[in-house]
Amino acid sequence: MTVLSLNDVTKNFGETEIIRGVSLAIEKGEKHAIIGPNGAGKSTLFHLISGLYNVTSGSIRFKDQEIQNKQPYEINRLGVARSFQVTNIFARMNVFENVRCALLWSSGYKYSFWHLLGRQKELNEKTMHVLEQIGLQKKALFPAGELAYAHQRALELGIAIASGAEIIMLDEPVAGMSHSEAEGAVELIRRITEGKTLIMVEHDMNIVFDVADKISVLVYGKVIASDRPENIRANAQVQESYLGEVVTSA
Amino acid sequence: MAILKKSAVWIGYLAALLALPQFFDSVLAVSIFNQMAIAIVFGLSYNMLLGQGGMLSFGHAVYFGLGGFLAVHALLMIEVETVYFSIIWIPLVGGFIGLLAALFIGTFSTHKAGTVFAMISLGIGELLAASSLIFVSFFGGEAGVSGDRTFGPPFFGIEWFQNLEIYYLAVAWVFIATVFMYLFTQTPAGKMANAVRDNPERAEFIGYSARKVRYITFCAAGLFAGVAGGLFALNYEFITEENLNAATSGRVLLSAYIGGLGYFIGPIVGAVILTLMNSLLSNYSDLWMLYLGIMFLLTVMFLPRGFAGFIMMHQLAWVRGKIKSLLVPYLLTGIPSLLFLISVVGLIELSHTDEAELYYFGLSFNSTAAMDFILIAIVALGSLLSIRRSLPQLRAAWEAANEIPESVDEESTS
Ligand SMILES: Nc1ncnc2c1ncn2[C@@H]1O[C@H](COP(=O)(O)OP(=O)(O)OP(=O)(O)O)[C@@H](O)[C@H]1O
Ligand SMILES: [Mg+2]
Repeated sequence: MTVLSLNDVTKNFGETEIIRGVSLAIEKGEKHAIIGPNGAGKSTLFHLISGLYNVTSGSIRFKDQEIQNKQPYEINRLGVARSFQVTNIFARMNVFENVRCALLWSSGYKYSFWHLLGRQKELNEKTMHVLEQIGLQKKALFPAGELAYAHQRALELGIAIASGAEIIMLDEPVAGMSHSEAEGAVELIRRITEGKTLIMVEHDMNIVFDVADKISVLVYGKVIASDRPENIRANAQVQESYLGEVVTSA
Repeated sequence: MAILKKSAVWIGYLAALLALPQFFDSVLAVSIFNQMAIAIVFGLSYNMLLGQGGMLSFGHAVYFGLGGFLAVHALLMIEVETVYFSIIWIPLVGGFIGLLAALFIGTFSTHKAGTVFAMISLGIGELLAASSLIFVSFFGGEAGVSGDRTFGPPFFGIEWFQNLEIYYLAVAWVFIATVFMYLFTQTPAGKMANAVRDNPERAEFIGYSARKVRYITFCAAGLFAGVAGGLFALNYEFITEENLNAATSGRVLLSAYIGGLGYFIGPIVGAVILTLMNSLLSNYSDLWMLYLGIMFLLTVMFLPRGFAGFIMMHQLAWVRGKIKSLLVPYLLTGIPSLLFLISVVGLIELSHTDEAELYYFGLSFNSTAAMDFILIAIVALGSLLSIRRSLPQLRAAWEAANEIPESVDEESTS
């Protein structure tokens, strides 16, 4: 079953067309990697799906609804959670509160001003559980903005996965992590997205071929190939335009 | 244990409020306490906006003033027996009006935080201040409106003739309001207000509309500002345009800032300091506004987290039991600092006075004699030199008290 589909989506910034007609279909449970050179439009594509930007033309469907011009929070509530390439956390709040906030809506609290968070046992346990998963339980009371970079990346991931959304979109989740940290993060991503749909932008080809069961190659705002990993590896056009150097250098 | 500690803080707060008039019971003292009570609620409500929600408002007095005006009108209605209820509920009338105004104004002012919000708040403030001079029947023009709190059914025999009675009523409301504002910070909406303050973009990707979160905080702040306005009406029994104009809005910003925006108790500290300065200093010098401005500048420059932040800075040293080692260095720098401050203020006062003779700290100075200026200047200079000498000591003591031992240094950052 297709959970997310893009139909001839374009995005212009002023005169420049950054996304030039992208069509994609993502199946339920799929681990879908989007790769491509810098500036290809991968992050822009994420912003379009998650509602940060409106599309210039085309449509995006989540299950049976069109979501292309919905607000980010509406799309999130449908079950699409995401992380950002550039760390995007709640800097003055502590780590625990960052994650707990990410759990609030999906736990049904909405805009409540009558629940006292200290008393929400289940919510607080869930929060601690996420902190354990991302290895930040010892930093629970630390201001997020003062964390070391790698820990901020872990928190970035934690905020995205906390609510257990159906579709999880990760924009370069391990960028800037050391090798061992990246390994841990990939393990976590694999565990957390079991049975869920994952869309991931990643430059590290080892990770991509390790995690993904489908890969789309975005070059200059267009998907030039979207296929199973082994076929992408063999694809001559992809080799030429992008993969060649990266694979050999990795 | 934690719960015990928390309730101890609350009981202490209530006890302190209740006990104040036991120690100072002059008419002046009680009137200052009443002002303090009003300022605490108003300041806390302002901090909901700025400290908690990241909305810089230049027009928060609108909700305070509207609440206050309606409260006075309610007093008038009680007086002519249009309505019949005890005046103890007047702060609720104020709160209700503050909430209504915020419910309406918030629909268009909370779309964005930052400059847009600040400008809208300024505009609304000006608009209301102007219209309060136009709609004279409601706002009473320059003279304002006045009422009388002694009508209506007595409350357990109390008829509210005395300011002290009003103070105890105010304490009840201040306590209730403080508890509720604190509890609000512990709710999903309250925590999301922090999140939206920090990062409105990300908040939208965890399911929350930043605008709606701001709107809720804005309305809550309006409600409590209105309660403060109601307390004002009860205390003074009159209210004028001045209570909703930009000057009042500016003062509450000042007070919250000086107290410390990042801390729940910040505005309480600020309210106490500002009220004391307002009412005591203004008795001694007509330059008190100047001193207030200087204090604000000094706070912004040297205590960016306000007085509450300054107190909290000592947490680490306190926990380690090293606070004592700071005492002597503090005194060594503090005493000359005080002396410097006193002499500078002396210079200002001496050059400002119209009289030939100025009494200052029990001494008599001649404002026409150059010698007296020079004398004070020497004291100022001397204390400044002394500060320069003692400051490195203080810095060293501070570092020693707050040093992080090697062993517990960041283990896991790698
Ligand atoms: N808001 C914007 N306004 C104008 N141009 C933009 C905007 N956002 C992105 N672009 C441009 O769109 C192009 C694609 O950017 P995008 O961030 O999507 O690339 P990317 O594939 O994620 O690259 P990277 O691998 O470096 O993260 C870039 O040329 C960028 O300069
Ligand atoms: Mg990118």
